[in-house]
Amino acid sequence: MPTDTLDSTFAALADPTRRAILARLASGGEASVKELAEPFEMTLPAVSKHLKVLERAGLISRGREAQSRPCRLEASPLREVSDWVEQYRRFWEQSFDRLDDYLHELRRGENEDGEQW
Amino acid sequence: MANNGDSNTEPPEQELVITRVFDAPRELVFKAWTEPEHFVRWWGPKGYTTPFCTIDLRPGGIMHHCMRSPEGREVWTKGVFRAIVVPERIVLTDSFADAEGNVVSPTHYGMSPDWPLETLLTVTFDEQAGKTKVTLRHAGIPSGTERDGTQQGWLETVDRLAEYLAEA
Repeated sequence: MPTDTLDSTFAALADPTRRAILARLASGGEASVKELAEPFEMTLPAVSKHLKVLERAGLISRGREAQSRPCRLEASPLREVSDWVEQYRRFWEQSFDRLDDYLHELRRGENEDGEQW
Repeated sequence: MANNGDSNTEPPEQELVITRVFDAPRELVFKAWTEPEHFVRWWGPKGYTTPFCTIDLRPGGIMHHCMRSPEGREVWTKGVFRAIVVPERIVLTDSFADAEGNVVSPTHYGMSPDWPLETLLTVTFDEQAGKTKVTLRHAGIPSGTERDGTQQGWLETVDRLAEYLAEA
């Protein structure tokens, strides 16, 4: 999966309100903006803003009905984020960066004072 | 892949392949992987430490280590060596574990229920004009069909993952 998709997913998930909205949709199917706003002390426009971020990240989709536009969870980006292969890819890439630095460090030490690794 | 009526069913097997060329002789790169005093210096994301590591480098031998996040969260891992060709190749299993070396479910560390219980790591070290090309294959050992109700599991997982990436 492209990294930019993963990044937009993480950016969308970085906010606790947005995670709470997703959790609500995961447990109860479709919901209107008004229903989603109820547990939060927030205005409808503020909640709508969060929904736009989630929609752009592909984490929710919204119905076409002009007034309520019910929201529903789209699980596939979450699935990709929780996918073990993707997590391990990040893990290994970062470890390899450190290994690269460490090997350079070892070889510098060897050159400077003839020390054996 | 619409067996058992579940449109979310994933392919049963997944494999991760990463290659990287390191500017160091093969013997050194191999040592960095297989000797604890070297391994603890690089393993894990940036900011993490490896406070414990044992490596019994022989077929059937055990690798047991602990990774600690900057916040102090510890993750123990255990592997069993399946094959060793010095300094060309190592093959070992990889599982989550506890401090005593018992294998534990990935859900113990907040991973989703469909995370494989055991994975297989194959690392090859190829000489390339004084440099070393490392090819890492990380393959899942399928744990059977997906369970119901994993959506909540994913949400819990991404919470932890988002925190984890924020730290890294």
